[in-house]
Amino acid sequence: MKEQRDILTEINRRDGMTVPDGYFESFAAKMAEALPQRNEAENPGAIILPPPTLWTRVRPYVYLAAMFAGVWCMLKMFSLMASPTDANSVIDKNPVLAEAISNDVFINDYVINDLNQWDIIDEMIEDGFDSSSLEFESDSDNEVTFVDPAAVNSTN
Amino acid sequence: MASLPEENKELIQRLRDPKTCREAFGEVIKTYSEPLYWQIRRMVQSHDDANDLLQNTFMKAWSSIENFRGDARLSTWLYKIAINESITFLDRERKRRNLSLDDQEADLVRTIESDTEFDGDELQKKLRTAIASLPEKQRLVFNMKYFDDMKYEDMSNILGTSVGALKASYHLAVKKIENFFLEND
Repeated sequence: MKEQRDILTEINRRDGMTVPDGYFESFAAKMAEALPQRNEAENPGAIILPPPTLWTRVRPYVYLAAMFAGVWCMLKMFSLMASPTDANSVIDKNPVLAEAISNDVFINDYVINDLNQWDIIDEMIEDGFDSSSLEFESDSDNEVTFVDPAAVNSTN
Repeated sequence: MASLPEENKELIQRLRDPKTCREAFGEVIKTYSEPLYWQIRRMVQSHDDANDLLQNTFMKAWSSIENFRGDARLSTWLYKIAINESITFLDRERKRRNLSLDDQEADLVRTIESDTEFDGDELQKKLRTAIASLPEKQRLVFNMKYFDDMKYEDMSNILGTSVGALKASYHLAVKKIENFFLEND
């Protein structure tokens, strides 16, 4: 091993490679000549671009902000479409509807009169009302009236 | 076979100024062409290839001189470019000629044996052959340390490898070269 280490010492950092005579001198000169023009400072005739305006600089940010605003609006719209507004809150906010509901005449004329009397009977039966305790004055579908037996007894 | 020159701060200042940049770069070429040439030549062995790669190195440095901010040493920056050029060239040649790593090593040995730009003796030729048989990274480390006597810290900056790993790599390279001489006596 010692002998081999001496070989590297013996060679003394020389590997015998050479270059043609005057290579480095001519290389430096040729290389310097071959360097292309780089910038306007070296080439005064070059086209110099004007400095960017304020709008040119902020334009990408404005476009980006507009894009985000658009996306936000779309999301808001989808959200509104997906969850319909509570009907009560609409009525509360609408003064015409609110006034109409608080008006007894309106309710009697347009809401209560629309109720089918058989619907009322059905609801009463569902609530446990005994229909046999009622006496019918007429069995006509359109003119059904109920007579409370208690009221009949008291008048008799 | 000089080692890397000392850093010249005034030269770097002139490189940053567009008006004096070209002239200053001419000085860079004069100063650094020789050490960079030998680094490249020891990797690719052929003078013609080394000459082409040295030109590419300076062309790339010139085209991106504004990227050199002076944080790193100029020599480190140029060495990095030269080494990248050398390794890229070897990889490209290997792929172009469809060679394995062993085939490429044999190709380098053939280049050494037929090299006309050589006036050394058999021992030196044998050393070149031994170095050509090393893996790329070990070859780089050995060349930088043995021929250029470069500091491990500078090598670390150029190759991006820790000093400890470089020392180990150099030690391994020396061992392999010693074994090569033992086996080929």
